[in-house]
Amino acid sequence: MAQTAMSETYDFLFKFLVIGNAGTGKSCLLHQFIEKKFKDDSNHTIGVEFGSKIINVGGKYVKLQIWDTAGQERFRSVTRSYYRGAAGALLVYDITSRETYNALTNWLTDARMLASQNIVLILCGNKKDLDADREVTFLEASRFAQENELMFLETSALTGENVEEAFMQCARKILNKIESGELDPERMGSGIQYGDAALRQLRSPRRTQAPSAQECGC
Amino acid sequence: MASVPAEAETRQRLLRTVKKEVKQIMEEAVTRKFVHEDSSHIISFCAAVEACVLHGLRRRAAGFLRSNKIAALFMKVGKGFPPAEELSRKVQELEQLIESARNQIQGLQENVRKLPKLPNLSPLAIKHLWIRTALFGRVLDKIVHYLVENSSKYYEKEALLMDPVDGPILASLLVGPCALEYTKMKTADHFWTDPSADELVQRHRIHSSHLRQDSPTKRPALCIQKRHSSGSMDDRPSISARDYVESLHQDSRATLLYGKNNVLVQPRDDMEAVPGYLSLHQTADVMTLKWTPNQLMNGSVGDLDYEKSVYWDYAVTIRLEEIVYLHCHQQVDSGGTVVLVSQDGIQRPPFRFPKGGHLLQFLSCLENGLLPHGQLDPPLWSQRGKGKVFPKLRKRSPQGSSESTSSDKEDDEATDYVFRIIYPGTQSEFVPQDLMDVSMNNLPPLWQPSPRKSSCSSCSQSGSADGGSTNGCNHERAPLKLLCDNMKYQILSRAFYGWLAYCRHLSTVRTHLSALVNHMIVSPDLPCDAGQGLTASIWEKYIQDSTTYPEQELLRLIYYGGVQPEIRRAVWPFLLGHYQFGMTEMERKEVDEQIHACYAQTMSEWLGCEAIVRQRERESHAAALAKCSSGASLDSHLHRMLHRDSTISNESSQSCSSGRQNLRLQSDSSSSTQVFESVDEVEQTEAEGRSEEKHPKIPNGNPANGTCSPDSGHPSSHNFSSGLSEHSEPSLSTEDSVLDAQRSLPAVFRPGDSSVEDGQSSEATTSRDEAPREELAVQDSLESDLLANESLEEFMSIPGSLDVALPEKDGAVMDGWPGEADKPSRADSEDNLSEEPEMESLFPALASLAVTSSANNEASPVSSSGVTYSPELLDLYTVNLHRIEKDVQRCDRSYWYFTAANLEKLRNIMCSYIWQHIEIGYVQGMCDLLAPLLVILDDEALAFSCFTELMKRMNQNFPHGGAMDTHFANMRSLIQILDSELFELMHQNGDYTHFYFCYRWFLLDFKRELVYDDVFSVWETIWAAKHVSSAHYVLFIALALVEVYRDIILENNMDFTDIIKFFNEMAERHNAKQILQLARDLVHKVQILIENK
Repeated sequence: MAQTAMSETYDFLFKFLVIGNAGTGKSCLLHQFIEKKFKDDSNHTIGVEFGSKIINVGGKYVKLQIWDTAGQERFRSVTRSYYRGAAGALLVYDITSRETYNALTNWLTDARMLASQNIVLILCGNKKDLDADREVTFLEASRFAQENELMFLETSALTGENVEEAFMQCARKILNKIESGELDPERMGSGIQYGDAALRQLRSPRRTQAPSAQECGC
Repeated sequence: MASVPAEAETRQRLLRTVKKEVKQIMEEAVTRKFVHEDSSHIISFCAAVEACVLHGLRRRAAGFLRSNKIAALFMKVGKGFPPAEELSRKVQELEQLIESARNQIQGLQENVRKLPKLPNLSPLAIKHLWIRTALFGRVLDKIVHYLVENSSKYYEKEALLMDPVDGPILASLLVGPCALEYTKMKTADHFWTDPSADELVQRHRIHSSHLRQDSPTKRPALCIQKRHSSGSMDDRPSISARDYVESLHQDSRATLLYGKNNVLVQPRDDMEAVPGYLSLHQTADVMTLKWTPNQLMNGSVGDLDYEKSVYWDYAVTIRLEEIVYLHCHQQVDSGGTVVLVSQDGIQRPPFRFPKGGHLLQFLSCLENGLLPHGQLDPPLWSQRGKGKVFPKLRKRSPQGSSESTSSDKEDDEATDYVFRIIYPGTQSEFVPQDLMDVSMNNLPPLWQPSPRKSSCSSCSQSGSADGGSTNGCNHERAPLKLLCDNMKYQILSRAFYGWLAYCRHLSTVRTHLSALVNHMIVSPDLPCDAGQGLTASIWEKYIQDSTTYPEQELLRLIYYGGVQPEIRRAVWPFLLGHYQFGMTEMERKEVDEQIHACYAQTMSEWLGCEAIVRQRERESHAAALAKCSSGASLDSHLHRMLHRDSTISNESSQSCSSGRQNLRLQSDSSSSTQVFESVDEVEQTEAEGRSEEKHPKIPNGNPANGTCSPDSGHPSSHNFSSGLSEHSEPSLSTEDSVLDAQRSLPAVFRPGDSSVEDGQSSEATTSRDEAPREELAVQDSLESDLLANESLEEFMSIPGSLDVALPEKDGAVMDGWPGEADKPSRADSEDNLSEEPEMESLFPALASLAVTSSANNEASPVSSSGVTYSPELLDLYTVNLHRIEKDVQRCDRSYWYFTAANLEKLRNIMCSYIWQHIEIGYVQGMCDLLAPLLVILDDEALAFSCFTELMKRMNQNFPHGGAMDTHFANMRSLIQILDSELFELMHQNGDYTHFYFCYRWFLLDFKRELVYDDVFSVWETIWAAKHVSSAHYVLFIALALVEVYRDIILENNMDFTDIIKFFNEMAERHNAKQILQLARDLVHKVQILIENK
């Protein structure tokens, strides 16, 4: 039914989250990724906002449905409810603010606890362009990433550097996990859906075609 | 022969491939419940079958010249085998279509449109067109079976199909795939992306034009299930055309029980009967009978016309629960006719089935579908061998037979039946008999003839057009009498239970909703039309003489018409409660003065605090930078710094605690603050400069403290988060006890309790200037103590008098307040005057500190009235300051009002508010609420006061409040009652019954959903509504927003994600006027519901 009206052709749909402290540039990252532009008048996010984009990862079309959350920890009780069934997440901090870096542990715990067990996380040190004001070194962050089994990139939503890569890497890793069988897209709450029009039906209706007027000769 | 084993192997290989493909298709079918026509499995399956069928094919059989051997073979088979013949006809048609489509690609679009829609076939699919079509037509197995049976005619002897074992195996392998359903729902050329909210709105506009015009505003207040009681014409599909067609398909919720094409229905009296597709669908609780004209099924009307086609008017949808009787008429020459009669006695247009037992089949499907709750009365009979048959006992009406005799003279075959659909055990069966009897007497005699008459017309339609139909029907009197009686019972019981249900429903409504609206309905027209709103002239009059208009009348005007933009600045303070209606000008001035003073005081307080914060930040930032540049080697240094932080907090808190004891010991001193100020000014700059060089030298590092990081922005906070912090060293215990001591302090001094008196200004300046020193200089100099004591005498009187003089503040209860800063700062300033002090002396050992601080603290309680800051307060404020600044910077940057200067104002107000409510702290969204107020009022103090008033209500919506869940629950009830259809959808999609899509709406009073001008008018309506219609007016605006787009939401069957996305994209594009109007209507609707008990 109308669900199909909202559908399109892709092989998989991944639900992504963008999380991290307020003012780290989550919405800007998303905007840069989708529009390839820097959003210089963005307001802080209330509740949740959305973006989606189809990317081609190794020949597979993957639709990313990205949930951009409010950063302030006071809203965690609210944003947490969006975590359910996310396949991947961008964990964003601001390289010019140690505070945002220090908060990563909490975000990490939340993501691992509330999203799917196998959530694929990539750590993004945003505002790479503000290198002069840097408070968190690349080395330190990459050590943190290693310890916590995260991928890691420094990004700049302003210049667009590494923004697409962050999303791509995350998606690629999920795909690899699917291929290796580590992730089962059919498991509930995996955050992954088949995108192909036919396969997509999986998740909701088991629809068979009514015997159509032309073919039914009886 | 050497080739024999080789041939056998080839056969085995071929067969294996087919087996594999069949297995895959069947697996797909099992896991997916259906197979897509474009599935790659089908293509490989076709290839495998083709290889088998062609294996060992005689050249003659395939035709020498034909390139497509399968085609030749199948056509040949077709000569002796009807299914194959049918197949070749179909495939050839298809081939023609493909051909013509190819030719017509250039131009001639018109013709293409008239052709039946060309299936989307990939080149691969076309290659196997024959086998594909046979498979989808479910004849492939039959044809192969035929080929196996007659294999000698077509095949060489080594052929797979000739093999006595393998041949039949192949044929039976194919039975499975041929029994499957294949779908061609969406294919690769439907390459559309998520339609944007805009697109959805557009689409809706396009196809809603021909739909039922029940826009939400026109809907009845209570959507008790609509009864389609007026025949087919009203049963137009309410969903979009495409969805209608798709709804004919089976899905997880609806099972297709029966489907038959070419069932004739005469949609209008002046029309020929039209063939169409009759289908019976079952969902969990309802069975629906649908009839769709072939024209729609084929999609043969051009795409554009398709949606607007008149045939939509003819399509029939009947809910079987409304149907009571089925009249079946059978004629030998034509198949049979079914007339459905609903509870209200209205007949649906007759369905004429084609010949050949379809009527019976339909009835048996129907009977099966009715189980277990319902059944046909009389039930169909099961007869061995023949399956279901018409019940033999049923007495044929003599007249009915005579009618059929007249048409075809075959008494035995033509049979008329009346079936009743009964639901044993349901309530309607237990209507008290006496009630029925009593009311039956009241029934007008009219009841009898009218159904009969309509039934006659059905007879005339079903019978082969005989002119004297009216006479011809008299014979049916006996069953009709029964029918009419039954109908009466039904109608009465329905009416009774309907009424009962309505009553119950209403009582639920009342209990649920009566709290949401004011019970007094205020008219938009009395005493005058309020559409113009509150105009400047009316306001003028009111301000001159507040008796000209009562407050209620002004509010009514605002509620229905808004405030004229020019006078918003004047009116809003009244609406928000800054002024009370009826205040004289003098009184208002007084309020303003108070507010201004209070605001200035608050500002001075937090500005002082901010100075300290800034100072700290510079340090920690420098440290972080240093750390960055030199890496981990600096860690030890950081640790030392950290330690210093905690020492300071230790000191200050200790002095606080001891300060309490000394509270009353303050005595006269006479030095003036001016002295300090002058000193301070000098000192401050110095102190800042010094701080940079200070920390490397800090002695006495307590290494255990090093775990917390100073650069987190709120360095010493860790010391006080006792449960969570990593500290386990002794210092913790002291801190804890200190905290306890602080808690027990009487809450005399609050940040908000500031003076309006003369001393205030000086006090403010002191606090600002001294602030940095609180941290830097912890000095135990008796001299300074003396000085401090003297100076503070002046402040002594302030706090006490304040508590009386000031209006109560609901501000923070900052227990730890009485600080020691005043004294050390003095000490510090002393130091400064007398050259740079030794670093060591600034950080004395704890032991000595204890002594000195107690001495110092003689001064502190007094100074604390507005000057000193406890460490927690500092930390809290630091955190909040960061948040505020982050958000203020990016608050509505694109709106003209927010220049740098005005953003500064925004920041000041926000900081002041937070300072007074530091226990709540800044939460994202508060900025959004303040911004429109500032735009309108354009005055810091006034906006501050109004914002404080506004936040009294809005605070509850923030995460620390808890009103949000109540809002969601109320929304739920409202939608359930006012739009059950939408509620149903939400319920089905489960996920968004928790209404998170409304989150931002309620949190910000729709500020982000609307453009500024609309925010203004919506906000003032909300404020006025509290007194005019509902204190929960926001709920109704939210409901209006949902209702405006309900059709789109329904049409697109939006789930949780879709709807959040939709409303996010629709932000600032709503029609605020329309929404406000609708919201008012909705309030009114609920008021009426509650009023009409």
